Amino acid sequence: MAAGYTPDLVERWFAVARTEEVVPRHVVQAQLLDQEIALWRDDAGAVNAWENRCPHRGVRLSIGLNTGTELRCQYHGWRYATGSGQCTYIPAHPTQKPAATMRVARFGITEAHGFVWVSLGTPAGPPQGPATGCEHATTLRSIYTEASAATIAACLLRGYRFALDPLGADESSPDAVVVAEDAYTLRAKSSHAGEREAAVTFFLQPMGASQTVIHGLLTTHGVAADRLAVLRHHHRQMTALRDAAESR
Amino acid sequence: MDGGGRCVRDDACPAGRRVLRPPQVESLLWDDWHVVAEFEQLRRSGRFATALLDVPLTLELDPDSGTVLARAGDEPLASVRIKYGFVWVCLGEPSRDIVEFPECGDADRLLGTAGSVRVAVSGLRAVENFLDLSHLSFVHAGFLGEEPLTEVKPYSVESSPQGGVIATGCRVYQPKASPIAREGFDVDYTYAVLRPYIVVLYKANPVEQHRRDMIALFVQPVSAESCVAHLLTCYLEHGVEPAAVRRFQQFIFGQDRPILENQLPKRLPLTPAREIPVRADMASAAYRRWLTDAGIRYGAIPAAADPAA
Repeated sequence: MAAGYTPDLVERWFAVARTEEVVPRHVVQAQLLDQEIALWRDDAGAVNAWENRCPHRGVRLSIGLNTGTELRCQYHGWRYATGSGQCTYIPAHPTQKPAATMRVARFGITEAHGFVWVSLGTPAGPPQGPATGCEHATTLRSIYTEASAATIAACLLRGYRFALDPLGADESSPDAVVVAEDAYTLRAKSSHAGEREAAVTFFLQPMGASQTVIHGLLTTHGVAADRLAVLRHHHRQMTALRDAAESR
Repeated sequence: MDGGGRCVRDDACPAGRRVLRPPQVESLLWDDWHVVAEFEQLRRSGRFATALLDVPLTLELDPDSGTVLARAGDEPLASVRIKYGFVWVCLGEPSRDIVEFPECGDADRLLGTAGSVRVAVSGLRAVENFLDLSHLSFVHAGFLGEEPLTEVKPYSVESSPQGGVIATGCRVYQPKASPIAREGFDVDYTYAVLRPYIVVLYKANPVEQHRRDMIALFVQPVSAESCVAHLLTCYLEHGVEPAAVRRFQQFIFGQDRPILENQLPKRLPLTPAREIPVRADMASAAYRRWLTDAGIRYGAIPAAADPAA
């Protein structure tokens, strides 16, 4: 649970998954500040972020079944309604109305910039965005690391580079200018040949004290010719960042 | 393993045949018998390493005498026995004998071990799962239950004079109640928790429905958050193949294992505030109450230590 974390961490948003990963009729397991979370999208498109345990006998809800309107626990088939988390049906007692206390603990949830954001508290504003003038945004493949968010941030601030046109084998691409918006949001901005500009905004998800997921959002002017090559290039760069952080 | 669980020589016992009880283990568990291996497995390998109550154990079979030498760390244990096809040890001074099952002496019964399965959860969770009626239609769908016949009808729970919990009058519809069942029928169940880590169930035999097959679960608490589940089956013969019984029980337990390993927390919370029970959970609720009354903390989260309580 989030015990031992400061209120500013509890009361802020963190990206915990890419929107495209939280697909209908599935349940995604995430972890934020040592709290396990079950993420699931209902058929109307709304995403739920729930404590990852059934209030009845503690089984992870991430192994449960997303029926589109309810999440069904694998152990005893108890069903919980989207939105409220209220238990709607207890198969062992089909005629009994479940008590109001039979409810899954829920967390704050919102979707923005291609990510699902969760807060263990109740933040006032929306999540931190990319804040650039670029019109095209692409979410990069998120990377799990065995390193603290502070270590990732320190590695990024020591230097990060990426090519604007990976197909051009642009090994001479200049170092990006890395700015920390806060301890969990860092932006690497790169100007190429003085005119074209691109940025990767990194959203760090602290799973716990020494495990962090790096989420990346690429913003560019214009669409790259070979999207797959661009994604692969950024994946290589982020993997190198992970390797550097894990060897520190 | 932490310092509290290390085996050290008991100074009061220069023969070195006892180990000192770690502070996290209650004497009710320490001075009791626990299964630590299936005998057949030891017979085949000759030597077997395991752990009980945070204490590392090695078992060695003397091929000439057929006796088993058990060591806790380096200390030979005085209390080692073979019974029901399993190797039992007591780390302390046995305060009572190994559980007795009179049925096991019946000439027309087939006694068998159904294997030993390591489970990454408190053994108390494994015992509770064994007692649980309402999961049968879901975890064992098509065998020990099925939708929509999910209702758990009222049953009786009482505490046993010898300690423990007995649940009687449990009736559940089972599509395939045993390896020889050809059709579904309403099965009559009785459960008895005999020791904190030992539970047995009696269920109506598909051929002689007035007599009952017996399945015992001996849970070996390896640590507070991991265990080995050992199953003993005692079926009426009626054409039962030992290999089929074993296969059936391993299949059923294979369905329980992923559920058990996905329970959070791994230790069994004893306060009802942490995990909400319903009427179908009377047996599990009584088990948790009995553990509380017996002062069992090993493998549990006692109410006093639970921030959710």
